[in-house]
Amino acid sequence: MKQVIVNPEKCVGCMQCMLACATAHSRTLQLYSAALEVPRPRPRVHVGSGLFNEGFPNRCRHCDPAPCQMACLTGAIFRDEVTATVVINPDRCINCASCAMACPYGVIRFHEDVFAPPGKMVAVKCDNCEARVSRGEIPACVEVCKTCALVYEEMDTIMKKKTDQVAQTMSAQAGRPAVPDSVALYKAAKQASLAVGP
Amino acid sequence: MKHLIIGNGIAGINAAKTIREMDESARITMVSDEKFPPYSRPMISHVLDGSQPLEKLPLFSRDIYEDLKISPVLGQRVTGLDIDARSVELGDGKRIDFDRLLIASGADARKVKARGTELENIFYMRTETHVRQQLAAIAKGVKQALVLGGGLVGFKAAHGLLKRGIPVTMLITSDYPLAMQVDEIAGLMILDELKKHGLRVKVGVSVTAFDGDKQVKQAVLNTGERLDCDLVIAGKGVVPSLDFIPRDRMDIDLGIIVDDSLMSSVSGIYAAGDVAESIDIVRQIRWINAIWPEAAVQGRIAGFNMAGRKVRYPGSLGRNVMRVYDLDVMTIGLANPEESQGFETIRNGGAGQGYYRSLMFQDDILMGAVLINRIEQGGTLRSLIENQIPVRVPRASLAAPGFNFKRL
Repeated sequence: MKQVIVNPEKCVGCMQCMLACATAHSRTLQLYSAALEVPRPRPRVHVGSGLFNEGFPNRCRHCDPAPCQMACLTGAIFRDEVTATVVINPDRCINCASCAMACPYGVIRFHEDVFAPPGKMVAVKCDNCEARVSRGEIPACVEVCKTCALVYEEMDTIMKKKTDQVAQTMSAQAGRPAVPDSVALYKAAKQASLAVGP
Repeated sequence: MKHLIIGNGIAGINAAKTIREMDESARITMVSDEKFPPYSRPMISHVLDGSQPLEKLPLFSRDIYEDLKISPVLGQRVTGLDIDARSVELGDGKRIDFDRLLIASGADARKVKARGTELENIFYMRTETHVRQQLAAIAKGVKQALVLGGGLVGFKAAHGLLKRGIPVTMLITSDYPLAMQVDEIAGLMILDELKKHGLRVKVGVSVTAFDGDKQVKQAVLNTGERLDCDLVIAGKGVVPSLDFIPRDRMDIDLGIIVDDSLMSSVSGIYAAGDVAESIDIVRQIRWINAIWPEAAVQGRIAGFNMAGRKVRYPGSLGRNVMRVYDLDVMTIGLANPEESQGFETIRNGGAGQGYYRSLMFQDDILMGAVLINRIEQGGTLRSLIENQIPVRVPRASLAAPGFNFKRL
């Protein structure tokens, strides 16, 4: 089972995943028309800047056990047995925010949504792009990510890659850097601008 | 192995689910005084305010007992516990024996000490039956409601009645509402929000008697004042239901004292939920945090331990979240100023600013937080408190409204 893996060191904070996510969770599935929809589609992935102005795409970890699922007052939050995705049923959700209090990563938002009953505020978070995946597509945030900060891989594969990466740093002649030069340069520039000030 | 679970609240149900996960052949019996299928207690305030129908209260499918192969004994309260014979006695005199017992009997609403409480239309707010009776009373027409207690239950009751267009007067014994949960600034913000929507509040008073024929008509205050009311909801806290336990045989304080496996002082007898007294993570003393999410977690952990898989319970943390009209209120850990003396308190926002945030630190450990609005990432703060993680970023920035929690 492939899943979305985050490589925070590669994120440049461009926020394209947020746009792609909102679009993927819209009625029309096209950026320009999605922007005109009511309620306005909103992203499930949230890029914030860290201590050194570095980006970080914060998305649901689909924890197991999931604290939000345990805290849900109505049983609206459940785990899809097949995909292991933690899902919120908007019809059972009562917008009580108990999940927001439970989530250690702060990835749940509350708003009206095209998938919710009209006019009702509900808890919304990443659904691993179930609709796209069932159409044979990959999650929208991964598709749009230009730096491979978000990748869609088998856990075993990505673990092997990481192990190799760590091993390569031990080689006498270090192999390819974990972060491409351009990304490293961009991040260094952002950090420097932070030191200089506005 | 014969497992007996007293209570079909979330602690009892989660324990049963966990035992079944671990042991296909275990015998599980569950006793409850409520006949209604297992439901969401906190949701009854959403039923009172009309945002959810009664039918939505049950948490599981109708076949939950069959699915989990539980033998339910419903409509019965446990009246006795024989520790030597390892059996409990029910109200009808029947006995059920057990190898492992989970006491998840919960808590009952604290009774109002006043004359005339037997009059009609005086309610507590605790169970599905209570809210059903309230709705029936409201359907007949209510002109003036009285809410006793300025705690969370009182506020939820007042909020629900106001949303139904019923005028509400709230009586609070202390000086400002939610005195146990929040500091004065937050308490007054919440109070103002409810007053804006028509709530009348009297602080520093209590009821000594109710008057009426069959149904309540007036409340008499300790000041001698008389208030007209045709519906009363009392939210004066809860008391653990443990009358049936022989106190000389089991360690009991306010609740059943449990160790970090949620076992009581008697081997093989566990307790979870509102009846269990564990360690409070921030206070580091024995404490009952009678809240739903703790009951859910305790039920699961007790279930594991009963089924023979050792799982440690780290202690409980008080927390609550509610939405009152335009205010979202979240409190975590220590929030009460009396308890936080000697701590460093960092505040941001306040009345008129649309948000408020107050964080309590002991050195670099976050001990408590009160948040009004912008609560989406409050869970991150809860995690910091619960895991006692040192905060390395500037503390003032943590309280800032636009703080990005990725900076942690």
